[in-house]
Amino acid sequence: MTDIAENGTEAVRGVAVTLNGRVIDAQPGELVINAAERAGVYIPRFCHHPRMQPVGMCRMCIVEIDTGRGPALLPSCMIPVAEGMVVETESPVTRKAQDGVLEFLLVNHPLDCPVCDKGGECPLQDQTVAFGPGESRFVEEKRHHEKPIAISDVVQLDRERCILCDRCTRFAKTVAGDPLISFVNRGNETEVNTFPDHPFASYFSGNTVQICPVGALTATPYRFKARPWDLDQVESTCTSCSVGCRVAVESSSNQLVRYLGVDVDAVNWGWLCDKGRFDFEAVNSENRLARPLARQGDDLVEVSWSDALTKAASALGGAKERHGSSSIAVVGGARLTNEEAYAWSKLARSVLGTDSVDAQMGDGLPSDVVLGLPRATIDETCAAGTVVLLGPDLKEELPILYLRLRDAVVNHGLNVIEISASQTSMTRYAAVSLRYRPGEAAVLVQELFEHAGDVDVQADLGRARALLEANNVVCVLGRPSVAERADSVVQAALRLRSRVPGMRFLSALRRANIHGALDMGLSPGMLPGRVSLEEGREVFTEAWGQLPGSVGLDTAGVLRAAAEGRIQALILVGADPLADFPDRDLARRGVAGAGFVLAVDCFATDSVRQADVVLPAVSYAEKAGTTTNIEGRVSRLHQKVTAPGTTRPDWMIACDLAERLGGDLGFETAEAIWDEIERLAPAHSGLTAQRLASSEGLEGIVAAGPSSILETTMDVTATATLPVDGYSLRLVSTRKLYDNGTLVQQSPSLAPLAPGEVVRANPADLDRLGVASNDRVRVASSRGAVVAPVEADAAVARGTVLLAFNQSGSGAADLIDVSLPVTEVRVETVGIGDREVSG
Amino acid sequence: MGYFEGFRITFKEMFKPRVTTSYPEELRPKPERAHGRHVLNRHEDGMEKCIGCELCAGVCPARCIYVRGADNPTDAPISPGERYGFVYEINYLRCIHCDLCVEACPTEAITESKLFEFSFTNRADAIYTKRELLVGDDGRPQRLPWELWSDDDEANTSAWVRATASSGRADYEGRVGWSAELGYGIRAPEVGQAGEDAVATADDRHGHGDDVGHGHGGGH
Ligand code: SF4
Ligand code: SF4
Ligand code: SF4
Ligand code: SF4
Ligand code: FES
Repeated sequence: MTDIAENGTEAVRGVAVTLNGRVIDAQPGELVINAAERAGVYIPRFCHHPRMQPVGMCRMCIVEIDTGRGPALLPSCMIPVAEGMVVETESPVTRKAQDGVLEFLLVNHPLDCPVCDKGGECPLQDQTVAFGPGESRFVEEKRHHEKPIAISDVVQLDRERCILCDRCTRFAKTVAGDPLISFVNRGNETEVNTFPDHPFASYFSGNTVQICPVGALTATPYRFKARPWDLDQVESTCTSCSVGCRVAVESSSNQLVRYLGVDVDAVNWGWLCDKGRFDFEAVNSENRLARPLARQGDDLVEVSWSDALTKAASALGGAKERHGSSSIAVVGGARLTNEEAYAWSKLARSVLGTDSVDAQMGDGLPSDVVLGLPRATIDETCAAGTVVLLGPDLKEELPILYLRLRDAVVNHGLNVIEISASQTSMTRYAAVSLRYRPGEAAVLVQELFEHAGDVDVQADLGRARALLEANNVVCVLGRPSVAERADSVVQAALRLRSRVPGMRFLSALRRANIHGALDMGLSPGMLPGRVSLEEGREVFTEAWGQLPGSVGLDTAGVLRAAAEGRIQALILVGADPLADFPDRDLARRGVAGAGFVLAVDCFATDSVRQADVVLPAVSYAEKAGTTTNIEGRVSRLHQKVTAPGTTRPDWMIACDLAERLGGDLGFETAEAIWDEIERLAPAHSGLTAQRLASSEGLEGIVAAGPSSILETTMDVTATATLPVDGYSLRLVSTRKLYDNGTLVQQSPSLAPLAPGEVVRANPADLDRLGVASNDRVRVASSRGAVVAPVEADAAVARGTVLLAFNQSGSGAADLIDVSLPVTEVRVETVGIGDREVSG
Repeated sequence: MGYFEGFRITFKEMFKPRVTTSYPEELRPKPERAHGRHVLNRHEDGMEKCIGCELCAGVCPARCIYVRGADNPTDAPISPGERYGFVYEINYLRCIHCDLCVEACPTEAITESKLFEFSFTNRADAIYTKRELLVGDDGRPQRLPWELWSDDDEANTSAWVRATASSGRADYEGRVGWSAELGYGIRAPEVGQAGEDAVATADDRHGHGDDVGHGHGGGH
């Protein structure tokens, strides 16, 4: 029962329920099944799931409940507790009902347990043993279906095993928002299936495998790989993107075979996206670098660690001696753990003496903006008054953050204002969706507050203004498109902040541990613990011995300098600028122009193949440490399998290099590094290894830390960039979840899911240009040209053209010139085979 | 007398039947329930019975079985159903011949012969793989060069002592229960075993289960 207390808040008073003769204290509104579980009585169930609405499909949870009108058999997952209720979960009547339900569920269930991937961890097996009748009276022929049918590239459905619990279909519809599977037919013939010609192509399809209470849905990458009793499990954090979902990493015979989502309230609620769930295949890949390589003429040949390190150290030492520290640069580091990032930061600053370190690949935002703005957690964002989205398509880049926000909108009425250059997957959930011309986000925000803009958008702007009046506004801030420079997005964000008091920010940078890398100072002008080079100079000079005198270059600056011959040694730490830097021409000139290139990586990427020395690093689940997510939440990573060949952890490589260069980072273990971080980094002080290992650390601990770096409240007048001419369109280049990156491409189950290179444009623009949908077109910018098929897509705003970044084919990187604020392109049809001719 | 008193035991024993044999020239018949090296059986059509379910590996107290399953190739299936045993290994340095694997197997794919006389000179040889364990086309165990087979070693290679089997029926109490088929044929069930009549009829075509002579797949 609830009362409204004097002060208006709801006073919670327990509800007394008699459970098996014992009075328990349930919460008002709580379902009987949950109240019983909290009181230590497990009621068997199949369809009930703590993160989804109850549906009462399976009837397994039927127990005797007396609500005052005499005992009746009722599904406990549908009945909220009430004062004086009497529940009997072990009475003969309940037992008989459970026997009956299970006997019925098994009527059509095949005897597949020995070959079923669920066998051994199957709720149907377990509950049949615990609550079932022991023997079946059914001797007739069972229902038959074709054995597993692939309902998507990664999920298989065995309809014979399905018990019609509605978990998968409910998940697809209500949690993922991809209602692509559904019940078809009626009665005995009911089955789960997809719609004709529409596979279950959801980014979240793997979750249905995890929640299916039987072996009806199984994952292709795990199919017949192991049985539950030969799995080893450890809890860790997913680093496929920066949301930081908690996962259970499972291996068998020292090979990763499966990840399962772990339910933590603060982050992923038990869900994972398919990329995060299935990219363990990349860790197992045969193509992993296993031994150090060094250049001999045109080839990279295997050498010993000692030779490779000596060679690298002498090149680095030589560069420092002859050309000074500023001729050395370190690019990359988002793949590293916090500890490893710290070690590299320390190596660069104190031994190599350079501040030109950058973990971002020119596709993010300036680090003082990411680190310096006041922060909000995911929970706070979902509970905010209004959320402004100014960043990438969340479903493509931060899928579980998308699920959380979608839930907040659909189930809790969160108001979202979307500011984007074209429609995204959040558009249909946004209260207001505002379009800006690429490069002109700041102009739109200015119009928003100055009541300017076209008449047809005035209503939208007005509604957005009203929503921004709400208490507690949070902005999810990332880089919407790499085809426009970051400046205008930063300006837009700062302008929003200056007009909306108390606004907080949630970063939407996507790369693995990018936030940890920035926190550890892998960014020019920053030191570990979110302090600037100047703020931290005193403390860190004392601890590290020396610091570079002035602020160094970011990745774009490094590549530019390298192209001009001013970088003698370029170190790529898990970085592939040739694939990831928005401007491929500059990346190519930069990598080629650097005197000496040292690559530390897990795979031989395009950039690694250009290196002079390659050091192989251990990968995910092969090392322990900590990682930091978009919120600044630090959570632990665990080792599960041993690394291939002679690979070493990145922190160890940093220590080895330091030693050969006559320095000493002073670390023997990764734990020792964390201790130093906790001691020196202001944002991480108090975040001890003990706290992280305690129950408090299970869902990670947010490093609150100082945010004093950003003092600018920029208020320059935003100006629109004028289009070159009437025929040009502005390029928008965003990421898809499945792209040409190594994680996806080295996972055989995911690689085919990358959509490939397609140009999308508004049908009206295509009409105007005389281009038909599905034509092959040539998209040309001042930088270069790309030939790809075109698709008319009304979701793309007029005047823009969309080309996903880093897909197979030459890609958007060939079109982008990072020195220009926006990328203007022209689109023309090409006949088959006249790529060269048209022009 | 006192002198001969000392030989009393000797003379008594001299007239008893001799039990010592000159091993290994002369091999004693093994008890019916002897546990020896395993065989992986086939169905009568030659398909492998093992479905790669790893139940045997899961139950093995010595952790000496390593099994990996794989998708059955649809064009040339190796076993009936979706899954087959892709890797199957038993490490005989560790096996204690407890037969729990035999009891666990849902398809009677893994059973034991009575052969125990085999030796190795290195660890790798002690790990039997599918190549050694699988029975031949006639359904009979392979006789490998380093194994000392006697003719009755193949007898009773069925899944036996299903102590708790057949739903724990009371008529099994204290009785050795053989499954009604040998690794390579059908044998007569024990008295009291369910389905006795049905199998006994089938048995007429196959010859009697107690002689070792009946062939695999006979009568089909
Ligand atoms: S779903 Fe469960 S009960 Fe059904 S075959 Fe698989 S393991 Fe057995
Ligand atoms: S496939 Fe699994 S989750 Fe879906 S309805 Fe059937 S049993 Fe439930
Ligand atoms: S007989 Fe016993 S020890 Fe030997 S493989 Fe079978 S279960 Fe393991
Ligand atoms: S021998 Fe039997 S128990 Fe072992 S994997 Fe094969 S089918 Fe399963
Ligand atoms: S769990 Fe209650 S009806 Fe399925």
